[in-house]
Amino acid sequence: MRFWLYILFLGVTLVGYAKQDQEGTLPDAGEEPVEGLDSMYYLNDVVVTGTRTPKLLKDAPIQTRLITSADIEKVDATNAEDLLQQEMPGVEFSYAMNQLKHMNLCGFGGQGILFLVDGERLAGETMDDVDFTRLNMANVERIEIVKGAASALYGSNAGGGVINIITKEGTEPWTLNLNGRLARHNERRFGGSYGVNGTQLKNMLNVNHTSIDNYNVHNAPNPATQVVATVYGDRTWNIKDRLSYTLNDHLKLIGRLGYFYREQTRTADAPERFRDFSAGLRGLWDITQKDNLELSYSFDQYDKSDYHKITHMDVRDYRNVQNIFKGLYNHYWQTGNILTLGADFMHDYLMNKNLGSRTESQNTFDAFAQYDWLINTQWEVVGAVRYDYFSDSKDSQFTPKLSARYQPISNLNLRFGYGMGFRAPALKEKYYNFDAAGIWIIRGNPDLKSELSHNFNASADYTTGHYNFTLSAYYNDVQNKLATGVPHYLPGDDKQLYLDYTNLAGYSVYGGDATVQARWDNGLSVRFSYAYTNERLPKDKEGNTINNQYIPARKHSLTARIDWDKQFSSNYGLRLSLNGRYLSDVKNVEFIDYYDISKGTSTIHYPAYTYWKFSAVQRIGKAFKVTTALDNLLNYKPKYHYFNSPLTDGINLMVGLSVDIDKLF
Amino acid sequence: MFDDIYDEPQEQVDIKEGQLYIDASSWTDWHYINLTATENKVVKMSIPTEALPSPNGEGAEGLYTYWYDVFGEGLSKHEFRGFTPTISQPEPDEWHIAVHRNNVRTNGGAAYETPYTSMNDLPESSEAFANATFTEDVWNELDVWTIQAQMLQGLIGNQGIKVNPVLSLWLTVSLPPVPPVFTLNNHVFIIKFNDGTYGAIQLENYQSPTGVKCCLTINYKYPY
Repeated sequence: MRFWLYILFLGVTLVGYAKQDQEGTLPDAGEEPVEGLDSMYYLNDVVVTGTRTPKLLKDAPIQTRLITSADIEKVDATNAEDLLQQEMPGVEFSYAMNQLKHMNLCGFGGQGILFLVDGERLAGETMDDVDFTRLNMANVERIEIVKGAASALYGSNAGGGVINIITKEGTEPWTLNLNGRLARHNERRFGGSYGVNGTQLKNMLNVNHTSIDNYNVHNAPNPATQVVATVYGDRTWNIKDRLSYTLNDHLKLIGRLGYFYREQTRTADAPERFRDFSAGLRGLWDITQKDNLELSYSFDQYDKSDYHKITHMDVRDYRNVQNIFKGLYNHYWQTGNILTLGADFMHDYLMNKNLGSRTESQNTFDAFAQYDWLINTQWEVVGAVRYDYFSDSKDSQFTPKLSARYQPISNLNLRFGYGMGFRAPALKEKYYNFDAAGIWIIRGNPDLKSELSHNFNASADYTTGHYNFTLSAYYNDVQNKLATGVPHYLPGDDKQLYLDYTNLAGYSVYGGDATVQARWDNGLSVRFSYAYTNERLPKDKEGNTINNQYIPARKHSLTARIDWDKQFSSNYGLRLSLNGRYLSDVKNVEFIDYYDISKGTSTIHYPAYTYWKFSAVQRIGKAFKVTTALDNLLNYKPKYHYFNSPLTDGINLMVGLSVDIDKLF
Repeated sequence: MFDDIYDEPQEQVDIKEGQLYIDASSWTDWHYINLTATENKVVKMSIPTEALPSPNGEGAEGLYTYWYDVFGEGLSKHEFRGFTPTISQPEPDEWHIAVHRNNVRTNGGAAYETPYTSMNDLPESSEAFANATFTEDVWNELDVWTIQAQMLQGLIGNQGIKVNPVLSLWLTVSLPPVPPVFTLNNHVFIIKFNDGTYGAIQLENYQSPTGVKCCLTINYKYPY
């Protein structure tokens, strides 16, 4: 409580200080030029994810949350998990057995949120989620987040939204940055990037390495459910190169190569290894001033293996390979209307030692069309339809989407829409056969149907003076949710339990969020975001309570950031940032006895928590940045490290240095 | 693609002279080793699980169900939850040691852990260990995990039987975390058998070529 009073006091003090300052230096808020406000909140930044066409953030017909490279730097985030849980309320990362990470975004899990890097899907999953450590933040230009069903543009897995990570392209003739960060538990983060930027040729090479040791955390006696006692660290390498070549004013080619490696030691003699190999080629052709065409090929292979130290053998037990061909055509009318046509083909290959036949594959094909109708200066309507075909089940899916933007005054946007989302059953969900340590056998189900969702959303954003306000609300109705069902015995066998993938009965989630942010000329900026999420937990089609695979979303969550930035002289600048989040408690219905479900269920209570980070970045000259941060500022130590608790053993001092070598000359 | 990065495990394990390979991963079997046998050195025998209406003999043999605090303080915190009497563990006529996952028994023998980690480094004969303290098998109802059907609840059915606490140190299973951590101890152990002979034994590996745990590659020297 004292902490919240302190935060409140700090906020009021800082706002008061900001007001004092602006009274002397700034014109009245009402006279603030709209252009100035736009640049304050990145409203003139271009986003592409909502419509697959470039749009100014302020004009995007689909509400898009933009996280810029400056935001990433303020959070000092290493990967997507660090960033998203701090920047977005309603996002929570929890853990499954083996500490496999699971993300929940407004009630949708990893398979319901589509992660893209530069518009491309990622291969590989563990417990339904992509490998978040692959999503290194070192070379990220911006992240665009579109909540709500986006399957009409992106197909399967976009029922809950899309998170598109867009990487940097050099702008200076050459750049060379080297950086490092040290923290507790022998945590190390080293990175380097080298960019060259010619008239026709641009190249950006990024190399990043992270490592952290395993460490133990303490739990009080008698936990209500499973807890984590040892936090597994890991070692990662992430190498990416992006080369673009502009042939002429009309034609540009972009090539990329990537390699990712992660090693985690749960068993000393057999560390687990995760590798990813990616490559892609994209051609952008401006056919005329009003027509452009984009063709691309993408390759992504994600492998898992165990390294047997005793025999020095690296044995692969999982491989997912995606080969994707894409075409996208846009036609622009002078009135501002845009027609978008696209088609994709993907060959999806899966090798998993726990598949019945060890390997499975399927082809998917889709085609989609979108019309963006700028009716007048106030109204814009976007409609899209898409058809997807899956060869394995010979199943197809049709998904529509309709969105509208209304701008009654210049700095107020109202958006609302409907979209259908779907998730086709993954090959694993259809063909899995995994003996889960003798507890039960998890079985795939070839007869699974696609999960369907209907998403309704509305939002408003308003900018005035130094303030920007955003409000949004959504309702998702999910049918045939894909999950594991009720554990059961086969007839005549009361010894072996089975847990089958199935389509659950109706499920819904609704909620909303509110954000207020303010920036002043004295270098102070604040942002407070609140999200409300209400999941109506699914049951099976017979009405039985199922054992939820994952802990549901917390109803209330809040993120806050207060920054103060001042350049004292040409050689010294300082930025202080305080970032925090609060997540309310949550209850989950879990079986009392997994082996005798007639005993019913009990409700497990997972406590609320708050987590804060303070950082100071000193800019010395043009080339040096020294970062000192206190992570877990309040020294929060969970009584029980449940699967949705932050895995921390207390406050953590982090010290980092970044040098822009090119700026030394 | 990139297949060359990985190794393709062999189906069969290459066994050298003085070596045994035993798939001891089953929860419900003991594997009896007869070091003098020229054929069928290893014989598998199931752990009795069928309940008797009343205790057999002295009443100690059977399955002991314990609750373990697997997600909290670990295996050291446990509570007795039930006993199911069974028949005695069947055994072959001749055997020296028996293995069950990470557990080892002797046939009336005793064991000593040496500091040596290679069979080649051992002294010429077992006489070098004449003054060593050998440990006999002792009664155990906590470690021979047999019934895993309620493991997620922390409940495990264990066979009540004598095991050798020193020899069983060659492979340690730690909980938490879940799944458990296996730790190999590659020290050479000296066994004094009930007929007065000695043998030397070492666990070289506990995984199969594909990574299945409790598949034991054992080096031995007998008589020693």
